[in-house]
Amino acid sequence: MTEPREPQAPFDAFDVDTPEREVAHLAGHTIEQLSDYLDRERTPADPSIDESPECQIALRSLQHLRNVQGTLLAQDVTRERERGDSWVTAILQNIDLEAHSGRDIPLAHPSPSARLVVTEGAVRGILRATGDGMENIIVGRCRLHGDVSSPSDPITIRIDAAVSAGEDIPAKAHALRVAVYAALRAHTDLTVAAVEITIRDVYLPTPAGESVDPTGIEQP
Amino acid sequence: MSPPLRDRIASPLDTASDLTLVGRAADGDVRAFEVIVRRYGPLMRVYAARVLGSNDEMDDVVQEAFITVWQRLATLEDGAALKSWLMRIVSRKSIDRLRARRERADFDLHEPLAPEHQSPPRMAEAHFQTQALSRALANLPEDQRRCWTLRELAGSSYVGIADELNLPVSTVRGLLARARKTLLREMEEWR
Repeated sequence: MTEPREPQAPFDAFDVDTPEREVAHLAGHTIEQLSDYLDRERTPADPSIDESPECQIALRSLQHLRNVQGTLLAQDVTRERERGDSWVTAILQNIDLEAHSGRDIPLAHPSPSARLVVTEGAVRGILRATGDGMENIIVGRCRLHGDVSSPSDPITIRIDAAVSAGEDIPAKAHALRVAVYAALRAHTDLTVAAVEITIRDVYLPTPAGESVDPTGIEQP
Repeated sequence: MSPPLRDRIASPLDTASDLTLVGRAADGDVRAFEVIVRRYGPLMRVYAARVLGSNDEMDDVVQEAFITVWQRLATLEDGAALKSWLMRIVSRKSIDRLRARRERADFDLHEPLAPEHQSPPRMAEAHFQTQALSRALANLPEDQRRCWTLRELAGSSYVGIADELNLPVSTVRGLLARARKTLLREMEEWR
């Protein structure tokens, strides 16, 4: 046990250049160990830390630092959210829109010299738009399985979707399947053997605001 | 120039899960990608500014990060792990930028870093303390600040930081310890 320190005196354990004093002042521990102890939420309890007044002072300071850095980060993120969004526009203008177009899918045309194709990406767009036209379901990832280059070969379509909480999931999936068949018939020559829909997610129907934890740091 | 994107119509996509958004964006849906950019872009900007020590190159770094994200979305196996994946990408872009900066001027590792996170002064103690921390962070040596930011803002493990910075884990531990003690000591002075 060390002498009670002066309230205004610097805490020796925080001295950057004297690691031996750090250990001597923290009952054999280091600031790093105490920081890890906080990360573990002080479990399992370590009496050599919990019963050392110096460690408790250091832990309080570490916790305080975390609180302040959590507040700082939250402030910074809020300020960034409130900033104008020219930066969003700049990003969207610089991405390559062709990057995800996928395979070419031929479309029939009366003229033998014409070659018409629709891209796989465009077909996925049709599938998403079909879901977006319905209430309480969001189409996620879509996959076209099979040889899309020959229209007569049957292909399987796999769709991941999310449904609003409280919806009748089988009924929603059925309605989407019917709508997808109709949309593909209207816009493509694909022979669809099956439309497999997997509901991977249930979401809250009302906009719940930002559900994002901007800090990733626990607030006390 | 395209018109500003503000005052958008609220869309169910705004509240969709990361999993759903990643699936759509990987399929080429720009609207879903935009929701991802808005959801995590502000945190990535704050992060980049802290690693770089200034706001100067933040826009470029975050834009580069999102261009990579758009190209590689389909390689993200677990759409629910989006946030940590994004933070890794923006970390890498920020560190690349620091390296390039150092190659340009390797004689000046400790260039003065003006704290650019400024807002009108307020009397609140909390505000005073966050401003003081902001300055203290900006004044840390660059290698310490990088370690601290990766650890505390991106939530990286010691091993993850060592990989990212190409340093031994023991060095990362030492740098983090020094950064923490410096901040703790400064904080004592705020009281």
